Amino acid sequence: MSDEENYEDLTALFESQDTAFDADPFVQDVMAPIRKTSKWRVPFLFGAAGLGLGAAISQVSAVMTQIPSAPRPTLQMPDAITADRLTDMFAVNPMWALAAGTVVICLGYVALTERA
Amino acid sequence: MQSDTDLAARAAKGEAAAFETLVRRHQATVRGLTRRLAKRPVQADDIAQAAFMTAWRKIGSYAGGSFKAWLCQIAYREFLQANRKIKPETEFDESAHIIAFDTSAARMADRIDLDRALGELPESQRVCVVMCVAAGLSHSEAARATGWPIGTVKSHVTRGITALRKHLATENVA
Repeated sequence: MSDEENYEDLTALFESQDTAFDADPFVQDVMAPIRKTSKWRVPFLFGAAGLGLGAAISQVSAVMTQIPSAPRPTLQMPDAITADRLTDMFAVNPMWALAAGTVVICLGYVALTERA
Repeated sequence: MQSDTDLAARAAKGEAAAFETLVRRHQATVRGLTRRLAKRPVQADDIAQAAFMTAWRKIGSYAGGSFKAWLCQIAYREFLQANRKIKPETEFDESAHIIAFDTSAARMADRIDLDRALGELPESQRVCVVMCVAAGLSHSEAARATGWPIGTVKSHVTRGITALRKHLATENVA
């Protein structure tokens, strides 16, 4: 550590130069794009998530009534039946498509803006 | 006063105000570092700004320790990246001393002497002197930032300081 202490005079000289920097314009330049991003990030995420959640909850009762009458998938064609069932659900009420779209948008937005 | 670690934790949660405090606290060190490293000082603040933007994006990966050293490491990488883009024919910007740190004549003279002396050093020594002497990083922190062995950093700092003192003494005699 003693090696790192025998240049204090030079360090003081450098520091005296650095303290002369005008901080405000630089800080503003750095923070402007950061504030712009963070200002909308949280409201957007919560807004979209809330919208999706609301749409999903509002459809739960309608889906519950359809479950007992839903045809059971057979071993021979399970994929086709599942796909048909989903198509029927979206055809009955497009709100499901809206909810699914909102969730996809939210996930995409998080993936794009999430910091490492 | 909140510690850098606390502020960084708040910034990692998206709190811009906490990050602003960190920027204000460390801007002088980072700008000083980039101005002394960059061959074209007019670009130094751009490099410093890019360093802070990178720090904001990666603040979640800050795992404690000296925040200043972490920032300086990012700034050094930004400098290397910017340096690769600069064409060889624009090697040295003669207008370096025009960007004033201080307006008083005595300090301006000191600055010019110091800039000139730093400019005389080989790049590796200049990097180590700027990191350890000007930015105040320890040898191990500078070694981590540059990726060089600690012995190499110590050697560059020692030789750099000797050369710097010699150069400054010559300037003062002249």
